[in-house]
Amino acid sequence: MATTVAHHLFDRRTVLKGAAAASALQVASPFIIAARGETPIRIGMVDPFTGVYAAVAQNELIGAKLAVEQINAKGGVLGRPIELLVEDSANDVGTGVQKTRKLIERDQVSFIVGDVNSGIAQAIAQVTAEKKVLHVVSGGHTDSITGKDCKWNVYRVCNTTRMEANSVTDLLFSKYGKKWHFITPDYAFGHTLYDACAANLKKLGGTITGNELTPLGTSDFSAYLIKARAANPDVLLLLPQGSDMVNCLKQIVQFGINKQIHVAGTQQELESLESLPPEARIGIWMFEWYWKQPNTPHLAEFVADVRKRTNGKVPTARTWFGFTSVHTYALVANREKTLDAQKLAQALGDFELPPEIKLQPNKVYYRKGDHQLMTSAFVGEAQSKGSDPEDLFQVNEIVAGDKTAPPVADTGCTLQWPA
Amino acid sequence: MTQLLVFNITNGLIIGTFYVLMALGLSLILNLSNVINFAHGGFLVIGGYIAYTITPYVGFWGALLIAPPLTAVIGLAVERVLIRPLYGRDPLYSLLLTFGLAFIIEDGTRFIWGAQGKPVTIPAFLAQPLSYEFFFITGYRLFMVAVVLFIVALLFLLLRYTRLGIRIRAGTLDLETVSALGVNVRTLRSLNFAVGIYLAGLSGVLAAGQLGLEPTMGAGVLMPSFIAIIVGGVGSLTGTLLGGLLIGVASGLAAVFLPAASEAIMYVLMAVVLLIRPRGLLGEEGMMT
Repeated sequence: MATTVAHHLFDRRTVLKGAAAASALQVASPFIIAARGETPIRIGMVDPFTGVYAAVAQNELIGAKLAVEQINAKGGVLGRPIELLVEDSANDVGTGVQKTRKLIERDQVSFIVGDVNSGIAQAIAQVTAEKKVLHVVSGGHTDSITGKDCKWNVYRVCNTTRMEANSVTDLLFSKYGKKWHFITPDYAFGHTLYDACAANLKKLGGTITGNELTPLGTSDFSAYLIKARAANPDVLLLLPQGSDMVNCLKQIVQFGINKQIHVAGTQQELESLESLPPEARIGIWMFEWYWKQPNTPHLAEFVADVRKRTNGKVPTARTWFGFTSVHTYALVANREKTLDAQKLAQALGDFELPPEIKLQPNKVYYRKGDHQLMTSAFVGEAQSKGSDPEDLFQVNEIVAGDKTAPPVADTGCTLQWPA
Repeated sequence: MTQLLVFNITNGLIIGTFYVLMALGLSLILNLSNVINFAHGGFLVIGGYIAYTITPYVGFWGALLIAPPLTAVIGLAVERVLIRPLYGRDPLYSLLLTFGLAFIIEDGTRFIWGAQGKPVTIPAFLAQPLSYEFFFITGYRLFMVAVVLFIVALLFLLLRYTRLGIRIRAGTLDLETVSALGVNVRTLRSLNFAVGIYLAGLSGVLAAGQLGLEPTMGAGVLMPSFIAIIVGGVGSLTGTLLGGLLIGVASGLAAVFLPAASEAIMYVLMAVVLLIRPRGLLGEEGMMT
């Protein structure tokens, strides 16, 4: 049997080239999930189904699909069934923009939902505005989307970072203390969230002992935690999300820092708590929606419907975002009896969500001035285990969206409608 | 400040040992088979998920023993079916193959285990800091360092004193001659690949105890491992060891003085080393020491 022997063709340069290719690994776009049919009204969803936000994006999709089924079962939109086309932004701005263009130009979608990543959401909002397509940002939180960069055609379902900060800072200050140290993910979402928290703390008369900016995708937080503990704050606020949040909390608990400093934050998600071992499910946070609420109409059916489609997994805030985004379109289009983006965008101003969609106690509506959904903050504490294996958060208070949102005048939003 | 420095240097060394484990596996495969294994991070993920799956039955310690060899078996199959046919070709083929494989593994794990991260619990006595002062030195992290030291020692002994090790080293220098002397080069490469993947699997089990286990976790450690190899010098395992520790310390120190640069510092270090010593710190073409 002949044996083939390769020569040593690799030198330092090849390795370097390879290393460069490895960094591309994280931004390359691998695959597309698409659902095609022959139905006439097409809506497009762009979300990061691969990469660090894959789990939350997947849940948005589950919610969106459930909404599509429900809408079609009730006669669709203007008597036509709707079809959901799904594209993977791969957590990359360029890919997200390209996929959005493809959905609008080639697939002729009349509505866009997405993206989880604030940076991508902002970028694709440029595209939808240019193409005059109604767009609901399902899960990107950075303020400017419904703030200084707000657009006539763009609405948002999830909270702004300022709303998140406003929902918990007073509580953290009164309960945990006035010296705060931050761990902040170094991109749009983290920066605006930090600014909002810092501004509130300043108003309350507290001090900031430091802010550790961590690159998105940081796995080892030990160096930042060493610095944070040396600063000796009362509260350590964790602003990262997704796997960064999981890594950070896991290390904090292993280091025993939670026994010396209060650990808390603003936005927390069921996806993250479920990825953590029980001992690391700690701290005061806000959830943007929670599946366990006392006496909320239609909630039980929604949870049961989602469980049927997910092998028994409960809906998360993300499932509700996807669900609400798609239902918003059908509701407003059926009410206005048109698919015209500008008419629909105008009709959505101060549009209130009905009980079977809002699934929470307070009034929930899209604010006319900045197109932000006034949705509640579920403030409470993470718990190692509850009455159900997925009941990992104890909700103490459900604060209405218009109590946490700053007035429209403070958002910096000025809507420019097309002539 | 001095305390912060000492803490971060120590902490950097701990992080560095982890990079070493990954980088050694990569280095072994690169040195003998000329394969830049982009799927190495993927094998780390496979190791972690296998450990997660079998932990309920065999416990953490059982998983630590069983998951890495199982990962190596998968690695062996991959080498046999996909990589072996490419040995005679331009190395770019295997580079592209493993690059694609990395995506397949990531999506494969997402398909099998779901996109959401999985909680891995480590034995309680390891999940505690040794002292209030040195809170960042937990039992688990010390255990990790001990495992890495043990494995590195074992690997070096294997390469120096066993027939397989001597053949691997000889093959690194001149595979054609080794083949001409009657050594089955195919088996040699397969075994060498399996050892490399075993190290990735072991890294995966160890990482799952400390980090969140999710399909993308391999990507984050792949780059530092490549940099460790380049800084240490391609071809030198001792260099890889040194490179891993060095970038660990460098990123630890950067976190103190210039936190935003804690990731970039690795690349800066690589650039500086390459400018001063283009072959890396201990690099000698084709030499494994």
